[in-house]
Amino acid sequence: MTQQTAPSPDPGADEAPQQPGQASGRRRRFGRRWYESKVLPVLFLLPAALFIFGLTVWPVMRTLQLSFTDADLEMFMTGEFDYIGFANYAEVLTDPHLRSVFLTTAVFGLICVIATLALGTAVALLLNRAFKGRTVLAILVLLPWAVPRVAAAIVWQWIFDDQYGIANWALAGMGLEMFEGFAWFNNRYTAFTAIGITIVWQSFPFVALVMLAGLQSISQEVLDAARVDGAGPLQTLRRIKLPMLKPLLLVLVVISTIWNFKIFDQVYVMTGGGPARQTELLAITTWREAFTQHDFGLAAALAMAMFVILAIVTFLYLWLIREDDEDLS
Amino acid sequence: MSVSRSQGAPSHAASAPPVERPSTARATTTSAASQPRRSRSRLPRPRRILGTTGTYVAAIVLGVFSAFPFVWMVLTGLKPNPEIFTATPVFIPSEITHLRFVEVLTGDFTLYLRNSLIVTTSVVVLTVAVSASAGWVLARFAIPMRRYLLILILSAQMFPFVVLLIPLFIVMRELGLIGTYPGLIIAYLSFSTPLVVWILRGFFKSIPVDLEEAAMVDGASRAGAFRRIVLPLSLPGIAATSVYAFIFAWNEFLFALSFNRNSPEMHTLPVALQQFIGREGTDWGMIMAASVIFTVPVLVFFLFLHRRMTEGMVIGATKG
Repeated sequence: MTQQTAPSPDPGADEAPQQPGQASGRRRRFGRRWYESKVLPVLFLLPAALFIFGLTVWPVMRTLQLSFTDADLEMFMTGEFDYIGFANYAEVLTDPHLRSVFLTTAVFGLICVIATLALGTAVALLLNRAFKGRTVLAILVLLPWAVPRVAAAIVWQWIFDDQYGIANWALAGMGLEMFEGFAWFNNRYTAFTAIGITIVWQSFPFVALVMLAGLQSISQEVLDAARVDGAGPLQTLRRIKLPMLKPLLLVLVVISTIWNFKIFDQVYVMTGGGPARQTELLAITTWREAFTQHDFGLAAALAMAMFVILAIVTFLYLWLIREDDEDLS
Repeated sequence: MSVSRSQGAPSHAASAPPVERPSTARATTTSAASQPRRSRSRLPRPRRILGTTGTYVAAIVLGVFSAFPFVWMVLTGLKPNPEIFTATPVFIPSEITHLRFVEVLTGDFTLYLRNSLIVTTSVVVLTVAVSASAGWVLARFAIPMRRYLLILILSAQMFPFVVLLIPLFIVMRELGLIGTYPGLIIAYLSFSTPLVVWILRGFFKSIPVDLEEAAMVDGASRAGAFRRIVLPLSLPGIAATSVYAFIFAWNEFLFALSFNRNSPEMHTLPVALQQFIGREGTDWGMIMAASVIFTVPVLVFFLFLHRRMTEGMVIGATKG
């Protein structure tokens, strides 16, 4: 790797009047510099750029196109579909079920975001303290994150099983007799409760770890100074730690919102959107329209609606971090 | 730990020697480890004890909440059937049966395990290779429109799967890649690459350019400096992003479900697991055993990288 001679054509070798002297290696060195400053970056960047463009930007364009068509299964046979204007979007806006799905997704997502951030921050504050068994706890906290989503959904479904579930046993044992043999997944709200617990259980470790890293990055001098000035732990938390972590918290809010808008696995495994499509979230509905109803046009319109909502959230996020110019320079 | 919560905490605190005040010469060696403790030692004693007890109660509750579902998964997988289907849960099985695990590992399930392993490994390797080089270029070179490229990358990882699913499904179908490994692997790269580029770029930026320049003065090429100086120094970042790519691909359900609906032999683990519980009279013991085996590789990966990350931190500490 060392001293590779680049036999490149050296276009305009005289353009760079660098240091005088060492004329012998100058041409060769310029060739290498040209290669390293112009060719190498492109070579290194190209694969990732192809993936990112070809697998994200292009598909979004295609979804946009499909959303104006009546594409269905026939498209695969004949490759044909008709443009039907905004009919799919009109259906999205007028269909009562689809409208309720949007509302459900937003409300449920918001509750999950708040619960996840509250729990994650509390856990970070706890892990930032010194106590025996802290390392063990830190590893235990990683567990929910390590458990695959589908496995988590399955085990929580088992925990919330009506007949043999440990949740019903514990709740009934606490004197809440209504939970004896209670069918969590037969009712919209209890089904969402079980799903929500699963989601928060899975997502709080990430928030906790990020917040913990943030907490530990606060310099000890600042904290010492606060202590010298007579600030108690609560004051330190409210006036120093949380304000200093605010940018991080905002980023986490946006990331969690985006994640929770996309929830699919847990719902698909635990309820499949039932009973009677009552626990359908946007992603589930979109999937259903595409893969069981084969109405790719409507599904694409739903997907675009989701995309626009998330794009707004993303722009909000970019606007929030805009002062962080260094990050985008 | 649970004993000290009820009665032991006050007596423990009373009998314990007062917070050590080591001589300054010794303190320098341990100061890093004892920082959090030191900062709390100024609190009045009763509040400190209250705080300590509260800490332990919270730690125990959190520990149980975090670990119980997984423990319950393992326990259910190990219990004999009559003890699974009981109104009052059996916490300590009368006998341990490992037969389900054997059956999962030797029966039909090996097929899904293999599918998952092939797809996941390919995704991790490709993602890291592609993203590390791109991340370095974006960290070091003045690329035209870099700002917009970065915004695109940042936004790309937020695109909902569902938006990409439909067109990618259609294209993969046209290319005959539905129900194959490459189809799934390529689709997965669209999600893993953007975020990994972003994270690795951050890591590379935190490494001083001087180190690369020093290596180049010593005769290394630019790419050589990247390979020998930057990459080893960002090992913790590469480890972290590998974990990310691994977990993503191993967990991914939506694409695996949609792409392989008509080819059950191509199912990855999550899809296979989900298919199991749809049926009447679900065999929860088998499902839990399979879930444990599905979960274990992630845990191993986590532990392996945990050490790597610590290593990286130690190296950083000695150098800083």
